[in-house]
Amino acid sequence: MSKEVLLRVKDLRVRLKATGALLFEGVDLELHAEQRLTLIGESGSGKSIFAQAIIGILPDALQTSGCVEIAGHRTDGQRSRTQPLWGNTVVMLPQEPWSTLNPLMRILPQVAESAHYVARATWPKARAAALAGLKQLGVDHAAHQYLHQISGGMAQRVGVVAAGLGGARLLLADEPTKGLDDDSREQVAQLLAASQGRGQALLTITHDLDLARQLGGTLMVVQRGNVVEMGDAEQVLSNPQHEYTRALVAAMPAKWAPLVQPLKPNGAAVIQGRGLSKRYAARRLFDDVDISIAPGEVVSVSGHSGCGKTTLGNILLGVKSADRGEVVRSPVPRWKFGKLYQDPLAAFPPQRRLRDALNDLVRLHGLNGARIGPLMQELSLRPELLDRLPSEVSGGELQRISLMRLLLLEPAFIFADEPTSRLDLITQQDTMRLICRATQQHECAVLLVSHDPWLARASSHRQIMLAGH
Amino acid sequence: MSQILTTAVTAQAPVVKSSPKTASPWRPAAILLALAAWAVASIWLAQNPHNQDLTGILAAPGAGHWLGTDHLGRDVLARLGEAVRVSLGLAVGSASLAVCVGAALGLLAAWWGGWVDRACNLLADAIAAIPGLLWVLLIGALAPGQKWALYSGLVLTAWVEFFRFIRPTARGLLMSDQVQATRMLGFDSLYVLRWHIWPPLSGSLLKLWSYAVANAVLALAALGFINVGIRPPSAELGQMMTEALPYYGEAPWLLAAPVLLLAVTVLVLQSLSVAIARRFES
Repeated sequence: MSKEVLLRVKDLRVRLKATGALLFEGVDLELHAEQRLTLIGESGSGKSIFAQAIIGILPDALQTSGCVEIAGHRTDGQRSRTQPLWGNTVVMLPQEPWSTLNPLMRILPQVAESAHYVARATWPKARAAALAGLKQLGVDHAAHQYLHQISGGMAQRVGVVAAGLGGARLLLADEPTKGLDDDSREQVAQLLAASQGRGQALLTITHDLDLARQLGGTLMVVQRGNVVEMGDAEQVLSNPQHEYTRALVAAMPAKWAPLVQPLKPNGAAVIQGRGLSKRYAARRLFDDVDISIAPGEVVSVSGHSGCGKTTLGNILLGVKSADRGEVVRSPVPRWKFGKLYQDPLAAFPPQRRLRDALNDLVRLHGLNGARIGPLMQELSLRPELLDRLPSEVSGGELQRISLMRLLLLEPAFIFADEPTSRLDLITQQDTMRLICRATQQHECAVLLVSHDPWLARASSHRQIMLAGH
Repeated sequence: MSQILTTAVTAQAPVVKSSPKTASPWRPAAILLALAAWAVASIWLAQNPHNQDLTGILAAPGAGHWLGTDHLGRDVLARLGEAVRVSLGLAVGSASLAVCVGAALGLLAAWWGGWVDRACNLLADAIAAIPGLLWVLLIGALAPGQKWALYSGLVLTAWVEFFRFIRPTARGLLMSDQVQATRMLGFDSLYVLRWHIWPPLSGSLLKLWSYAVANAVLALAALGFINVGIRPPSAELGQMMTEALPYYGEAPWLLAAPVLLLAVTVLVLQSLSVAIARRFES
């Protein structure tokens, strides 16, 4: 390890100024040139706070102690001392290039700007450097186009090139795969690896174990502001030592045991779609899809993003109409066909307490309100959660509450649209297990949409692949 | 602990905290209520605002007339009371009706879309194409000196703002997942309106309403100032200013009183809407 140290952190602690509560606790690390370090942990584990402390953008309410040193400069997490290093020594790779790139400028000149203004190159040199950077990541053909003319993936690469041209030695990437499907994640991993040129160090913060494995290097596992395990990525992931790391690794959908019981053959399909076709303008989503789901059966639909998975579910529910084909539903009231949303927060009236909203529903359909208690228990929900507003309940709990709300209606069919994709790994596994158990117990047909093929395989009886175009 | 952690993590940008004192809408509301109460009480407590006393014109403030008398010997305090009563009454009434009309048409357009939406927009654009004060003048000309004409003129120009705010907001909400989810559970439109559309709109409506009242007070004073608003002998702030103008050398307090009162009224109304906005944004 004779390489230059680009990041040295000693006994870094972050606490809340008001109460003195410790949010991130005493970590020591050194990141050398050409090394990669990945921080992994669930949301709320403090890993983003760590990133903010490094780049010097901690909220005012937080206070740091200990030592942070970037390429020999003591910054200690202070914004005033870190800001002069932005762009030329340390740089944050953009998460959403769509919102960071300028839509009114062509690609090449705005990429060249960072070489000119940050690295102080003359314009001709800056343009040459920009073009070389674009070429390196295979987007040089977009140099003279505008943002709206290139795809999201290309924009991401352009963003990385622009961030890299300032000549920074330390690259930071915060949740670079948030909301991406498998294919795109693969690309981002390659991109991160490629963006790390000679003598640069890469620090990635993510909750995505697959990304961590693909990136390699050193892995640091963070739980509640504490580093619980640290070591070579491959080694930590294949042979986790700490209990928390083990739970994380076991919660990866690829390792799940099947969550559904074998189906008992019983009766007619609850919902049937025949020859369904849908197109948006010139784009064909799917053609001639036949689908039929029996009570208690979970059918999953997978395919890459934008292939019409959600649209298929919405057509079955009757929220959208198909261009061709027909949907046959069993003759029960329409409200017995329900939907679980990707973002459960979007499924509740935001200003109504959960208990009141549920009581409204009970009154509307003359349901048995006494079932709420047992159902809550069945889904391992604490009863006092109902006294809160939807925004005051965690995502996993709210998703279970919205499942409970559907079960209260004794539903015939549930369309679960990425019900766990916004949840942390461990919460995702728990929630998915409960969804599968409850829907089977209540003999409810389920259409499950997931971008994760492993999750889809583990939690369904049958899988449908939408090819997409 | 984990709760604190989550909040701390999500708080990416430093939160600018406004001190609770400036954010409270109660103080401007209290001043406004006091103003209105004084204006109403002056019906019984103050002297007759129309009583002329040509032997005691342009009297300085004193024991008999606390704020002095005008060029016709009328008590200024009593006239100010009547003026505020008329102004606030008309302004509050017209702003309230404008909220109802604007909100109703905005919801209608958002709900039905299509030609209803286009017709409502066309109407709003047509009205916004002509300056507001001109509309009030035009309608006022149909029935000179009538309060109802002023009132309808003010409502006609004020509803557009509410409509333009409500329509896109309601439209976005109506197409959102939360409304879709509620509809799928079998709830009717009234429930959607009560729990999805109304809560996010109410704060902004209140704020806009307060602005609209301030605007109407100013519009009435402007009309009074050019002698086309409320007719004499009824007192009105703008009209009192015009009447006092020729005497500002001998009796400056005569001009100062309505000017100050108008400034205070508008200031209070505007700080009320700012305070409401802060409260609902936080």
